[in-house]
Amino acid sequence: VAKTSLTSPPWPEVKLPDPVEEAKYHAAEVVRKVNGLISAGRYGRLFAVVHFASKQWKITSEDLIMMDNVLEAECGDRIRMEKVLLVGADDFTLVGRPLLGKDLVRVEATVIEKTESWPKVNMRFWRRHNFQRKKIITNPQTVLRINTIEIYPCLS
Amino acid sequence: MVVLSAARWVRSRLSDRFWRVQEVLKYARHFRGRKNRCYKLAVRSVRRAFVRSTKARREKKRFLRGLWITRIEAASLEHGLKYPAFISNLLKSQVELNRKVLADLAIYEPKTFKSLAALAQRRRQEGFLAALGDGKEPEGIFSRIVHHH
Repeated sequence: VAKTSLTSPPWPEVKLPDPVEEAKYHAAEVVRKVNGLISAGRYGRLFAVVHFASKQWKITSEDLIMMDNVLEAECGDRIRMEKVLLVGADDFTLVGRPLLGKDLVRVEATVIEKTESWPKVNMRFWRRHNFQRKKIITNPQTVLRINTIEIYPCLS
Repeated sequence: MVVLSAARWVRSRLSDRFWRVQEVLKYARHFRGRKNRCYKLAVRSVRRAFVRSTKARREKKRFLRGLWITRIEAASLEHGLKYPAFISNLLKSQVELNRKVLADLAIYEPKTFKSLAALAQRRRQEGFLAALGDGKEPEGIFSRIVHHH
């Protein structure tokens, strides 16, 4: 039968690889290679995306984080952050769905200081109504220093 | 002479007027024109400045989210995906990164962003395949090709 404009759909035909073969390839090649790289220590600086204090942060080692709330930990306490969404190095990235396992990544941080923010002025004013309210707000803040990000070769 | 109450013609006078005025003027020192020097004009300007800063603190969140979305859109277009396709497919693959972090990755970790774009593209194709089904026509339907016997 002759080919017309309606014989094939207008979108390009995409053939996806076979799921069984792809799972085999993934398990054999990719996981083995990445495990090998991790256990050999062949990665430079690691970065991680961590969910902490209801916000997501992209962090590396030795960097400072400031949260706009109170943390129930004294200054100098070591903290382990458990909700890690993504860990990456130069050659590979481990993406969590949505979180990565706790036996795979370890992110350590120390509480450095607990202060208040600079005095922010909250003012409301309605003109011609003799209404003005002024309030000075100082939020409590906590500063953390990310000590280390470690990964262990227990992929599967 | 015993004085039981203060004399009536003594009124109390302000002694710290200077500091009360400086409290307001210190917030106006970087303004333009006479409102950085004259109290009467400065009071109005400082009040408007405070009110605007309170409102801006709420608007900043909206503005930054739009900025992140623009950046993610630009980065995903570089990899051949549009922003709605990228975000929806990432969410369907259970990757819950927010727009702030995606924008940071797009700027500072281009390889990671490329892999995320590839993940979203692959999930998109799988979604299309699942929606199309087998590709066969349902039974009992007249097709274009009619065979005469």
